[in-house]
Amino acid sequence: MSLNDAARGSVLMRSVQSRHAGDRTAVARLTLVALVLISLVALALSITTGASDASAINVIGALFSGAEDTALSMRDRIIVFDIRMPRALLGFLIGAALAMSGAVMQGLFRNPLADPALVGISSGSALGAVLMIVLGASLPAGVMIALGAFALPLAAFAGGLLTTLLLYRIATRGGQTSVATMLLAGIAISALAAAITGILIYMADDKQLRDITFWSLGSLSGMTWAKLFAAGPIMLVALLVVPFLSRGLNAITLGEAAAFHMGVKVQRLKYIAVVAVAGAVGASVAVSGGIGFVGIVVPHLLRIVIGPDHRYLLPASALFGGVLMLGADMLARTIVAPAELPIGIITALAGAPFFLWVLLRDRTRNGW
Amino acid sequence: MITAKNLTVSLSGKTIVHGVALEAKAGQLTAIVGPNGSGKTTTMKALAGELPSKGEITINGHALSALEPWQLAVKRAVLPQAATIAFPFTVREIVRLGLTVGPNRHAERIDAITTEALAAVDLSGFAGRFYQELSGGEQQRVQLARVLSQIWEPVLDDEPCFLMLDEPVSALDIRHQLTIMQLARRYCEGGGGVIAVMHDLNLTAMFADHMVMMRAGRIERAGRPADVMTDDAMEAVFGCRMRINGVPATGVPFVLPHTASA
Repeated sequence: MSLNDAARGSVLMRSVQSRHAGDRTAVARLTLVALVLISLVALALSITTGASDASAINVIGALFSGAEDTALSMRDRIIVFDIRMPRALLGFLIGAALAMSGAVMQGLFRNPLADPALVGISSGSALGAVLMIVLGASLPAGVMIALGAFALPLAAFAGGLLTTLLLYRIATRGGQTSVATMLLAGIAISALAAAITGILIYMADDKQLRDITFWSLGSLSGMTWAKLFAAGPIMLVALLVVPFLSRGLNAITLGEAAAFHMGVKVQRLKYIAVVAVAGAVGASVAVSGGIGFVGIVVPHLLRIVIGPDHRYLLPASALFGGVLMLGADMLARTIVAPAELPIGIITALAGAPFFLWVLLRDRTRNGW
Repeated sequence: MITAKNLTVSLSGKTIVHGVALEAKAGQLTAIVGPNGSGKTTTMKALAGELPSKGEITINGHALSALEPWQLAVKRAVLPQAATIAFPFTVREIVRLGLTVGPNRHAERIDAITTEALAAVDLSGFAGRFYQELSGGEQQRVQLARVLSQIWEPVLDDEPCFLMLDEPVSALDIRHQLTIMQLARRYCEGGGGVIAVMHDLNLTAMFADHMVMMRAGRIERAGRPADVMTDDAMEAVFGCRMRINGVPATGVPFVLPHTASA
């Protein structure tokens, strides 16, 4: 007799509830489709609106025809193709990379408050970037030429990777991650990275200071196709690799031992996840400076709607993160037009109170 | 069959399990009992492949160390002691993890098995509830349903599967203790094997085929409960002078699971 037969008897005895109670697969799929559509609209809006008066219809006409015979002037053409397009695409990629990194970190640390910026990964990446700006000149010329535009993203990536590994080593014991240790270690690591960054800034010459200042403003202005080609591939690879970790991350929410019991190669999963997060965050920090809270807000809101299943949460986070970043950027561009606000200010203004709300709401449940 | 020979486990430099040898046969419920800190859970974790150990462990004749996690996951499933989950999973989503994470041979029956596994642990109708909102005992049974769904067929490809349960009834009321022990029994009758770390000696006596008594990282006694549960063993293993089948002095009520009728 198999267990099924024994169990079946008792099932028939009871009134069987809705066959799909507790199943959020349909909602998750619907949300994903909606997010794809919203992403397309957000990208279109971001490319067609701005301080220039290039009208939406003309811009879209130009996008599709590609010919010279449209109503778009040469000036508008440059604005649309060389300023707005790389900015929109990079903004979307950065939002996607940050939000998905947040979701991965939270799954890996088994904690809804893990965020690349909050736990110091962004500071580590920033340190890497500043290190490259200040000390890059003293590297052998051949190395710098070989790295080219990739030097800054790679340095930020390395900084982020080291920080993530360090953080994981500190905060995890016996497969369990302590929230308090993680957040406090994040503060300490951020402070250390900031201190070393400070030393470097002190050492920097005038030109380097200018580079650092512009870079650290944390803004999407000054995005170019060159930056997109340098940082985009790293983020894109991370965005494409991470969804393959979904089932493993689902298992890890029950603990690393339980994930192993269910057939997951835990150590390998952790390394791939950490490298992907460091890559995504490092590349985004390299081009836009530190943009906080996207990684906490996006996955958290999505979990409320579609649940924590990473098979849907990861792609949905990427799309929603991209949309949110474009929205914040449009706000940043228009709120004090013709000047613009650094986007990091907007995400922090909205994100920090949200973080506090999550903290207060979860405090009772988790006994913090 | 799961066997261990000369099993030694050290954690942070301290040896917890000293040269243990045991056999857990398919079709049998093997219970490991002993005082706190005697190495029961550590032994179980080593058998599950979760802890590095010295000695030889085999599962159905395969060396444990040669099996990849996903190969192990279809031969044995493990119920850990209490687990907290930080994310708002529904009960159905938790149970489904047992079917979707590892190698999945039941793709078309996920919903059906989830429902049956919940019924087996007496949680029919709980599929839509949030795990975090359940009581400790209910959470323990949800986890058991997940573990059960992972190796739903007690025999797969002519090889028995094994449930490894670490204190499966520790958080349960007496009715559900019986429910879960009967479920383990049925798994054995279906051809699978069960290894359970137990604290309740009465339930162990009722349901175990083979009883392993551990003390200070070593096996003190092993055999059928009727053979090993003696006054002498109680004192040697637990350090308690007690009489097996003794009736207490009158005045203090007692109730034994043995007296339950269906």
